[in-house]
Amino acid sequence: MSINIKNVDYSYNKNTQLETRVLENINLTIDKNEFVGITGKIGSGKSTLIKLFNGLFVPDNGYVHVDRVDASDKKTRKKVGLLFQNPHEQLFSKTVYEEIAFAPSNFGIKGDDLTERVHESLHLVGLDSKITDMSPFKLSGGEMRRVALAGVLAMKPEYLILDEPTSGMDIKGKKELYSNLKRIHSTGACVIIVSHQIDDLLPVVNKIVLMDDGKMTFAGTPSEYLENISSPVPEITQLMRGLRSKGFNVRNDVLTVDDAYGQIKNLLTKK
Amino acid sequence: MHSFFFNYVPGNSLIHHLDPRTKLLAVMVASIFIFNAETFLELVTIAGFFVIIAFISGVNYSIFLKSLRPMSLFFIFLFFIQLFLSEGKPIFTIGFINPTYEGLITGLQITTRFIFLILFASILTATTQPVMITSGIERLIRPLPLKYIGVSSFDIATMMSLSIRFIPLLFDNAKKIQYAQMSRGMDFKNNIFKSFSSVAVPLIMSTKRTAQDIAIAMESRCYQGIYRTSLFELEMKNADWIVLLGISIMVLLFMFLI
Repeated sequence: MSINIKNVDYSYNKNTQLETRVLENINLTIDKNEFVGITGKIGSGKSTLIKLFNGLFVPDNGYVHVDRVDASDKKTRKKVGLLFQNPHEQLFSKTVYEEIAFAPSNFGIKGDDLTERVHESLHLVGLDSKITDMSPFKLSGGEMRRVALAGVLAMKPEYLILDEPTSGMDIKGKKELYSNLKRIHSTGACVIIVSHQIDDLLPVVNKIVLMDDGKMTFAGTPSEYLENISSPVPEITQLMRGLRSKGFNVRNDVLTVDDAYGQIKNLLTKK
Repeated sequence: MHSFFFNYVPGNSLIHHLDPRTKLLAVMVASIFIFNAETFLELVTIAGFFVIIAFISGVNYSIFLKSLRPMSLFFIFLFFIQLFLSEGKPIFTIGFINPTYEGLITGLQITTRFIFLILFASILTATTQPVMITSGIERLIRPLPLKYIGVSSFDIATMMSLSIRFIPLLFDNAKKIQYAQMSRGMDFKNNIFKSFSSVAVPLIMSTKRTAQDIAIAMESRCYQGIYRTSLFELEMKNADWIVLLGISIMVLLFMFLI
């Protein structure tokens, strides 16, 4: 079970003077048990790439297969839950319940099963079931984002894709989101996060994809990434590498502040 | 897709170089002629004028025809309303449906008039940049005593250029929301009402938010709505006066001869 992307090219404004190539010869396999981060500069093609995963965009060349079925097949849209940037801007229903029930009911889920899914998704994103009758527009910004996430989770997607989910979030919000995503991943769904904030991505994912100017320049585990790629790396890794080059005995693959803190503390107590 | 109504086509023709005020006046006069036209001969004369002016502008005719497309439903509606609801000699009768010959004629007449109206307006928009149209309108209405109803011609000009500026953004936003809802299984074939509101509600909300942000941004830069200098200073040239003279002669001829 996997998403397979083979020799994919994609251009905007095809057959016009404004034609721009945004993806070039992408080859990538994402297995269902993976927790994937896609990173790269703004305009590197990350967001375009994920729109191919559920068939919103169809590649000019090559193919995208989800569990061996072409991504443009309507059935794959149910399997691949895609949450866009600023998801609170897509809310439209009168109540939180209707908002979350929108996606599953579009895929034919009814009755008790639907109610159960709504409550389950609310629970997964850490919201109280009591808010189901409230208007989503009465909620706080953070809660609206979580309702939007719950709205996609209620589809029970086998692949959950999030585009810049942490943009505009504070540190507490980010931590909560990532712990929610880890929980969702542990229920057996594949989670794919698109973000240019590599500091947040590297510590949590087990596969990282680097995009640059429409081409995929790296795909592998975070430790392989640190061995092969010198930039971009998280700031804390950069700091520790700097210390190492000055002769301090610290590792060059530090990813978290806690890890760095432990190592620096070790150095200081040894002296 | 971005340039639905204001599809400016860059060019170097005589029409492109005319002052926007001249073109605005010409379109106004043309619309008066169009709404006075009743006989077949008059409509053909108007069509002839359109073909000639469009030829001088050097813009491809298909651009003008494209500008009719967004209105096509309206044209059809207009035609059938006239056809079925006019009194007169029936063509045939099935139950309460009875199209009349008079309805057929007025229907064709009115629809043709609207088509010409849009075609002439599309010459204006195809040969004039939106900013120029705005400053043209601003300059034309400046002498009006608008301050008694609480606005200035500059306010109106700002409103117009803001709305024109935000049409492409609106389309982008609609596209983005549509993709988001399609990812949640929205399908216009399933539940058209719910699908429509799933795009329309977020679109209206975000437009409202953008409008508020712009209002605040304008206030923090001390927007006053009083006299503002323009990047594009309008200047009437000889060609403009000649065209205006031509239009006046035509109007006088029309008034006295017919």
